[in-house]
Amino acid sequence: MTDVRRYYEEIEVGEQYESPGRTVTETDIVLFAGLSGDYNVLHTDAELMKTSIFGERIAHGLLGLAIQSGLLTRATKAYATVAFVGLRWKFKGPIKIGDTVRLRARVLAKRDDGKPDRGLITLQRTVVNQRDEVVQEGETDELVEKRALA
Amino acid sequence: MTAATYFEDVEIGDVEVGPAMTLTEAHAALYRGLTSESPDGSGGIPALLPLVLATGLAWRTPRPPLVVLAFMSFDWTIHRELRVGETIHGRARAALKRSMREGGVLIEDHELIDQNGDVAQSGRFVFLVAKRGTARPDPAPTA
Repeated sequence: MTDVRRYYEEIEVGEQYESPGRTVTETDIVLFAGLSGDYNVLHTDAELMKTSIFGERIAHGLLGLAIQSGLLTRATKAYATVAFVGLRWKFKGPIKIGDTVRLRARVLAKRDDGKPDRGLITLQRTVVNQRDEVVQEGETDELVEKRALA
Repeated sequence: MTAATYFEDVEIGDVEVGPAMTLTEAHAALYRGLTSESPDGSGGIPALLPLVLATGLAWRTPRPPLVVLAFMSFDWTIHRELRVGETIHGRARAALKRSMREGGVLIEDHELIDQNGDVAQSGRFVFLVAKRGTARPDPAPTA
């Protein structure tokens, strides 16, 4: 089988990806509350949230993070990732039911620590809504296989 | 009235330890369905899933729920991949507080600890937390 994954050497700093849009639904939020066990009223009490500054329920911040993680897989060919090792993340604004989010990502840095089989790739990621407002942004680090050993 | 923990109630150094949860194939499948990530077929748990589960476990500590106005940011490090069948629990420590007019910023250090007592993932969460008597979406509406 042909390996279509991309290796450390093939990924260039400055590469940019844009994902398709994804509309965040009430179902997403309910399923995420069930999966995570996070039933904070922010995400689950429609009546109370009418009186809040948001005016309605909002998606869990980590639901937005999880969704963008999936959107990356639909924005570009998969990396030959060995491990996802960390992230630095900011929640800039609410994601509301019916909002459509998309991911813009850019290869920010590559770091070769001299390991024969892997190198570190840092992506800058921006999650925007249908009005092009940034709702989340951050940087993610992953270790990617080198071609030499493939 | 539902009990709640406000900014004023948190002391630096407070430690909260949550209950443990075993990571299952069902968790991974539900998560992948929601996010559209493809299965890896090798029993690995998606890297961000334990973090997601940890946020729910954090609600199940003896302390009444924190009145979070907003989850502002976090840094997170994954020390090793977790597998189906492993059991994690969370430990959080209040590291820093800064009072603001509309609430207060609380920084917590979080660790996800495996069945052997080793830290599998860890990081820092930054929350905006309500003060007593301020307008907020909270678990104890007075109206």
